[in-house]
Amino acid sequence: MLWQKSWLETRWRFLIGAILLSCSAAVTVFTYPTVKELLSLVQGNATGALGRQIRESAELARTFPGYIWSESFAGNQRQWITLFAILLGTASFLSTSGGASFTLSLPVSRRRLLAVRTSTGLAELFILAMFPALLIPLLAPAIGESHGVASALIHGFCLFIVATIFYNLGFLLSTIFSDPWRPVLIAIGVAVALGFLDRVLRFTPLSLFDVMSAERYFRHGAVPWAGLLVSVAIAAGLYSVAVANLVRRDF
Amino acid sequence: MAEALVIEATALRKTYDGVDALRNLDLAVPAGSIYALVGRNGAGKTTLIKILMGMARATSGNVRVFGQNPGSSDEGIEIRRRIGFVSDEKDLYASMSVEELIRFTASFFPRWRNDLALEYSRRFALPPSLKIKALSRGMRTKLALLLALCRGADLLILDEPTSGLDPVMADDVLQALVAHVAAEELTVFFSSNQIAEVEQIADRIAIIDGGRAIVSGSVDELRERYCRIQLIFEDAAPPATLRSAGVERITRSGRVMTVLSSQGSATVLDEVRDLRPLSVEVSPVNLKEIFLQSVTVED
Repeated sequence: MLWQKSWLETRWRFLIGAILLSCSAAVTVFTYPTVKELLSLVQGNATGALGRQIRESAELARTFPGYIWSESFAGNQRQWITLFAILLGTASFLSTSGGASFTLSLPVSRRRLLAVRTSTGLAELFILAMFPALLIPLLAPAIGESHGVASALIHGFCLFIVATIFYNLGFLLSTIFSDPWRPVLIAIGVAVALGFLDRVLRFTPLSLFDVMSAERYFRHGAVPWAGLLVSVAIAAGLYSVAVANLVRRDF
Repeated sequence: MAEALVIEATALRKTYDGVDALRNLDLAVPAGSIYALVGRNGAGKTTLIKILMGMARATSGNVRVFGQNPGSSDEGIEIRRRIGFVSDEKDLYASMSVEELIRFTASFFPRWRNDLALEYSRRFALPPSLKIKALSRGMRTKLALLLALCRGADLLILDEPTSGLDPVMADDVLQALVAHVAAEELTVFFSSNQIAEVEQIADRIAIIDGGRAIVSGSVDELRERYCRIQLIFEDAAPPATLRSAGVERITRSGRVMTVLSSQGSATVLDEVRDLRPLSVEVSPVNLKEIFLQSVTVED
């Protein structure tokens, strides 16, 4: 029954996320023919940082997998999954729909309550990462293109693993703050700051967002195992701190 | 033979950010009693209940429920399996319907009473398909009470069970509670600042103030022990200090001195004779007066 409660309390965040991510993936696929037509308009001699970026994007968009990677796995999907990981993580089992003291009056340990809520959230996050990724090879034939299922699975998996960091960050923050807004805003702030370090300052000794988009896999066919393992370790660390926080917290 | 205690607290202390919510609180709740915890807002009633339920941990002191420590994870689970609980906020899961929440709660309690759940659903006129968020506060209180009563519990812990209810609904809830307790063998521990409802159902009481239990005992015994002695003097009441055991409060107003004694009137009367009052009158006090005299500062 705890599973049902967790599902009832997170289902709207999950369903909205599933619809948005799926629509985003579908729109990316179906706009490819138009993008391909516009490629001829891109000038090859554009200069400066912006010109270089335009040329890189145009180059990637010459192939369907390159276009999908740059627009979806390294673009929209990465941003959406980060946002929904935070929203699902901050859906604390003690604050989303009231009933904290009722929950704590049940003959269940706090660790079990947290394990059920986290398992439900991670299962939802997994679907949010994998389902839209799998939509791409499914929809590609409709525009006369193809995309490997294995590649989509690997990209979806990398999105999921790194997103668990943001899920657990949101979860940890929700154990510190009792209102629903500060955990969301702080976690989004952390994600934006990491993105800033990553892209603007080019501080990428171990970029979470590069691991998330699986750039190495896209360019060289190598799954970023080290980055994934580090991500799992960070997520597990955040989860452990959150559990320790909540187990000793007074309500 | 000593009474079996369901709840036992000794020198219990709870501090929040350096402020004492409970200070060396002692409490003993015998099995089978209807025990009322009475106090003003902020006296520490909810803090004590949270400690008993394992929702908060004591800073120091000792607390046992059914002989076990509610602060321990494993023992806390065993304790909560035997408790029916209604919180002060009556906060239930807004996203569930009445029927879903009853089914949800039943799944955690092996001794769940389906017969009672049906009976109270009818009696309280709870619409099964209505979402909790659509229920009025009164209906939510009734549902919270149903969920506590049907657990097959040995102990009911109710935090201000009738707060926020109109008198009719409050009476309805109390009647249901009294009928349930009469039919089942259980202990009830409830907090309240409604003295009338305490007099209506409690057989034992503890008055808590500033985090300490300042008065405790059976309601009948308190009524026997406590009395008001009013002395009228020819001139202004003298600023005398009485040394007799049991003098709880002395108030003076013009020619009148009023003494509240918690140990009868005999020793006080012996002592005040020397003050030569014009008249002396001894009268019984009710729970409300005991409460007010106990928690208000001497004038």
